[in-house]
Amino acid sequence: MTDPYRLLGVPARLHETTAQDAADYDEVIRQAYLAAIRACPPERDRQRFEQVRAAYEAIANARARLGHDLFDAAAPTPEDLLAALQADFQPQLPSAQRLRRVLGGKA
Amino acid sequence: MSRKAKDKPGKSPPQALDIPALVARAEADLALAHYKEATELYKELIKRERRPLWVDGLAACYAGRAHALADKGMLKEALTLWRNRQQLCGKPLFEGPYLAWLIQAGEQGEAVRMLADLSLPGTVRAELETRLAGILLDWPDDTPLALPAESPLLSHRAAALGALRASQLGDWVGMNESLAAIPFRSPYRDLKPLLKTLALLATDRSAAADAIARLPSNSPFPRLAVVLQAAILPDTRWLGKLSELDADSRQLLLDLKGCPDALRPLLLDLARLGEKPHPETWFDYLLRHRRQLPAGLAESFCQRLLPHAESRLQAYTDAFGRLPQVRHMHLAALTVEMRGKRAPALSFWERMAESLSNDPTQKLRAALIWRRLSGIDIAALSDEDHLADSIDYLQRSVELDPDQRETQLRLISALRGQGELQQARGALERALPRFPKDAGLLLEAVQVALAGKAFKKAAGLAKQVLELDPINPSVRQLIGHALFSHARKLIKADNFESARKELSAAAEWLRAAEDISTLNLLRALTSDDPADVGIRDAVAALGGGLAGAFHLALEAGRVGRNVNALLLRGGVNLKAAADAGAVVALARVVEATREPEKALRAALLPLRPLLKRAVAGRYAEADLSVICEAWLRAKENELLRHYAQVALKHWPQRPIFVYFKAASYAGNLYQMPMQLQDQLERAAEESHASNDRHTYQRIQSLFAALDADLSWPEDGADFIDPLDPGDPGAAFEMLLRMGGEETLFKMARQAMGNAAFDLLRKQMGGNDKNFARALIELMKDEMRGIGMPPQPAKPQPVKPPLAPAPRKPASDIQRDLFDD
Repeated sequence: MTDPYRLLGVPARLHETTAQDAADYDEVIRQAYLAAIRACPPERDRQRFEQVRAAYEAIANARARLGHDLFDAAAPTPEDLLAALQADFQPQLPSAQRLRRVLGGKA
Repeated sequence: MSRKAKDKPGKSPPQALDIPALVARAEADLALAHYKEATELYKELIKRERRPLWVDGLAACYAGRAHALADKGMLKEALTLWRNRQQLCGKPLFEGPYLAWLIQAGEQGEAVRMLADLSLPGTVRAELETRLAGILLDWPDDTPLALPAESPLLSHRAAALGALRASQLGDWVGMNESLAAIPFRSPYRDLKPLLKTLALLATDRSAAADAIARLPSNSPFPRLAVVLQAAILPDTRWLGKLSELDADSRQLLLDLKGCPDALRPLLLDLARLGEKPHPETWFDYLLRHRRQLPAGLAESFCQRLLPHAESRLQAYTDAFGRLPQVRHMHLAALTVEMRGKRAPALSFWERMAESLSNDPTQKLRAALIWRRLSGIDIAALSDEDHLADSIDYLQRSVELDPDQRETQLRLISALRGQGELQQARGALERALPRFPKDAGLLLEAVQVALAGKAFKKAAGLAKQVLELDPINPSVRQLIGHALFSHARKLIKADNFESARKELSAAAEWLRAAEDISTLNLLRALTSDDPADVGIRDAVAALGGGLAGAFHLALEAGRVGRNVNALLLRGGVNLKAAADAGAVVALARVVEATREPEKALRAALLPLRPLLKRAVAGRYAEADLSVICEAWLRAKENELLRHYAQVALKHWPQRPIFVYFKAASYAGNLYQMPMQLQDQLERAAEESHASNDRHTYQRIQSLFAALDADLSWPEDGADFIDPLDPGDPGAAFEMLLRMGGEETLFKMARQAMGNAAFDLLRKQMGGNDKNFARALIELMKDEMRGIGMPPQPAKPQPVKPPLAPAPRKPASDIQRDLFDD
């Protein structure tokens, strides 16, 4: 399955130190899930909705997260790597020079 | 092949042809897109006389060749031909695709020079200006532009450049002001949707998508449009577009995404890998770039890839060092599990869970592994040990993680299923204090109480469930049925007064018509009405006829009453003829009754003669199918064979009835006639051909059972020796176990003779179970030397028990993968 953390747009975290930490993180995931299904309700894209739901169920609580970490044998994908990398990207505006070069010249 | 050799034989050179021949050949070659040949012919014609038609023909030849070259990317050559077309045929240069080719070929200077040509038509000029807009924006500041002063390319350029500068600074107000200064017919007009997309990119991707959708398809800024379209793609999908872009566009996209310069080569390399690279290629990529990636990322990804790229284990160790032992076992378990190797997978998981169980910080992980192992289908390894193993795993999981309600529930349910009621009660006592208000656990407690025949307790617990879940209809039924069971126990003990109280209590909970009918029947059984009106009414309410009789017979078994006597009291006439409808109704009741086969057969026993006679009735195909299913469910093999035989008379070779007939040999499959086996094979083929998967699967299962029955285990000594000379009773025990009492009786009758057999059976008072035991003892004695050698002519084939799970050391299997 697609990395559930990536699908829900939450950072992967496995080692909550306290029960409160775990509960807080559960709530972060639940909010991300609710936002994802609001953005993609089943009547609009059933397949995506099912993916989001499966992702939520896979990481909804501390036990589920540990279980996912233990038993999910899916190979990571290049997109997973990009997602991990771009979490630290700072989008920036391009220079006017770069824009001019793309606007003009030959392809 | 030489050019000469390609020439068609007998073709005269153009100079040798007269005009009509030249015209004919030129038109033919042009029509066939033989532009070079046609060009020569038209040139020869024009040399003789410059007719407009021939000039147009020559122009068409040049245009055709130029298009062909441009299609191959040879833009310079295409432009040369287009210029020849202008010079030799007098056609305007700006006609057709010339301007587009000019820009694509990078001949911006020539394009700008064209704009200075005052004779250029207005529409062509406007198109050229639009095409040049992008080039003019990137025109070197130190190179003068030879354009007419009134050209909008010049007059609007400042505003366009101002908008670009403002966008660089994120000055969206300034950008909009500059864009507002660009008229809607300006060659720079398409900058508006593009720069608005850029402005919205970071804040509102949906609005950005709307903005770029407004860009016309023939925009002079296609490269920026492609970059922005890639940038608004959700998640990481932009990566797939990266390798389709030219160098400048790629850098612009990476700018927009905020990719640091150090990571850009790595990302370009990643884009080239594609969406699903081969695991080993992907692994090598990660190793190659591990130093550029954030700390730990490559190592973590490579570890997760190892089960898919086992050949890279050594490369992993070289790069990152040896895997910790537990992680090693974990990856090995995943690797072998993915390959469907259950035994070594189980071994790795067990070892990993054992290791983690000793670490207080890892108990939850260990509990999860034990819990998962309880659900793994290890039946294929060892059927007999499966449930015991499952329970062991669940117990370990519960010990480590008692707060996991589902595991507790599964454990209790599994213990109950195994008949380990004491252990189940112990597990319940430990679980309930943790989950005192859990309806599921309380329901399981009800089931445990019922299994232990503690009906009053079950009813009390069910009431607790109902307090938590007041509208649960299954709980109401459970209470009612628990009270029924208790009442039956009391009726069996002739304690009618107490039984009536239980039934009154049950009446409060039950609503279904069938339950009410059963209630009335049980009440009638506690009544002292000599006319048995209540029983007769209840039988009628339960469907009357055979269905009612079946219910009554079933109830007789439950309350320990003589079936025949009770049927008589219920007014059931076993000598009457039954019509097809009554048999079908009975079959439906049998199918729906959730009772063990033994109870079903006991209830059907008194009805059997009647049902045998009823086989002569008129049945539809669907009726016979329903009836056969019921007999199959009750394992009424004789009835099943009768009815299937009748069905096959009407519908010969119908696969489902062939299956039913063959299934009637269950328990004695080796007795199935060869002819029927052949029919079964044909039925399998036919059901497969007609896509009747259900019947096909059933026939296949029968074949599998037949194979097992007819073959001895290859290594039978490992399992059991059925004819151990030291234990002469072993074969008879096995015969009883595999073939049932009837088979044993049949063989004993043959061995002892009818008279001796019948006498002995009579002495046993009709108890078949005791009779079978007595027969075995008798035959064992005989075999020990008393004289009669009743050794089975053919040892009853034995279905080989599956070998106990050989928990091989995983390292043997993993030698090449994860060698310890």
